[in-house]
Amino acid sequence: MEELRILVINNHGQFCHLIHRTVRDLDMDTSIVPNTTPVEEVIAEKPDGLIFSGGPSLERGGLCEEYAKELDIPILGICLGHQLIAHAYGGSTGAGSHGGYAAVDVEVVEEDDILKRLGPRISTWASHGDEVTELPPGFVKLARSEICAIEAMKHPDKPLYGVQWHPEVAHTDKGEELFRNFFEVCANYNK
Amino acid sequence: MVKTEKFIPKAIEKIKAKAQGKTIIALSGGVDSSVCAILAHRAIGDNLIPIYIDTGLMRKGETERIKGIFGDMNLQIIDAKDRFLDSLVGIKDPEEKRKAVGETFIRVFEEEALGVEAECLIQGTIYPDKIESDGGIKSHHNVGGLPEHINFKHIIEPIDDLYKDEVREVAHALELPEEICERMPFPGPGLSVRIIGEVTREKIEVVREANAIVEEELLEQFFPWQTFAAVLGKGTGVKGDLRVHGWIVAVRAVGSRDGMTAEALDLPWDTLRKISSRITGEIPTAARVVYDITPKPPATIEFE
Repeated sequence: MEELRILVINNHGQFCHLIHRTVRDLDMDTSIVPNTTPVEEVIAEKPDGLIFSGGPSLERGGLCEEYAKELDIPILGICLGHQLIAHAYGGSTGAGSHGGYAAVDVEVVEEDDILKRLGPRISTWASHGDEVTELPPGFVKLARSEICAIEAMKHPDKPLYGVQWHPEVAHTDKGEELFRNFFEVCANYNK
Repeated sequence: MVKTEKFIPKAIEKIKAKAQGKTIIALSGGVDSSVCAILAHRAIGDNLIPIYIDTGLMRKGETERIKGIFGDMNLQIIDAKDRFLDSLVGIKDPEEKRKAVGETFIRVFEEEALGVEAECLIQGTIYPDKIESDGGIKSHHNVGGLPEHINFKHIIEPIDDLYKDEVREVAHALELPEEICERMPFPGPGLSVRIIGEVTREKIEVVREANAIVEEELLEQFFPWQTFAAVLGKGTGVKGDLRVHGWIVAVRAVGSRDGMTAEALDLPWDTLRKISSRITGEIPTAARVVYDITPKPPATIEFE
């Protein structure tokens, strides 16, 4: 695949640099940028795609919701990043009935773009107290698990994707495949 | 992955270009600072002054090992055991402990740096240190904590774009001893974070001995990413018909790629039994041994 420019938006998550590393090791041009970077400056970087990292709380999500609404490029939200996308489009987030820590067995509902070749089940690693409790209107559920009903989702038309688990950590199965699928979306967008 | 044959000459050039006059580095014996020390020594030779501070919170035999490896490089060994232990008296909170150790470290280091009239400082910061400190999970003692009373002309961080496994590759390429290249991560605040609650001389002795036993039993046989012992508190035991109110020692052994996620090793029962028997047998004040089976997340690898 051609080299794409992928920005990792830092939401203060402990795994943020692992996203950077995975993207870099897959031969993409990447850097970590603060989530307070103004929208125009993000556009000026000419990214082919954004990845929202995880983080401690929605309040520390910076301008992610604006990026999700205003930018016309593919975005992958991870953990808090997934919740920020949901929040931006009118979904609900809140404490799950059971926090997701360490191994979580995820059932792929719809392979769509980013979960292509990942189904029917994958073993993932998660670390979250909150989750997306209600899909934003029109969004499509892509995956679920025993402890969390909305493990992955996508926008009905725009290339916006969210996953609750952490594809960037070593203990998640097929994490790199998920990133490659996302890069494919980025490479083909607007072509 | 890092291309060591390109990285090493480039890093040496960078240090040469930036370092002026006497340049110091705090050497901990870990792979990061060791790699920086070797790179800097190649760049500026005798203008480099590596300083090793014996905090009293190091593992068994650590200081002697450092002497053996870096003894021919102007190495200054500072015995500051009492200062560190005094700074920890009465502190129970883990973050406060980390701060106390970090603070003392900076003060001692600063005094030494003033003594040698150093103009530049080299730090073994690696890429994840920069990002992690930002997230507020645990504070890293070598990031954000700098001597205040010295105006270093330059602070040089030769490996701040590398990940741990890349640093290890550079260490191999520099032909550092195998035990440094593959040395398990050891926290900056040392054994103090392997003691729950207040750090006392007695607890340090227990945890130091227990750590050595755990390493001896597990390192070469099971290749854990990290393994150690921690002192949790006191419990009741009985040794030879005598009641003992002794220390409860936790054993931790995890597998991991990068320390960011980890799982407890599935150790054979016989191995665990042997560790329990050695710890309670060789350490008179240890009464009980437990094995920590929690993955990360939700636990961290170290206890505090």
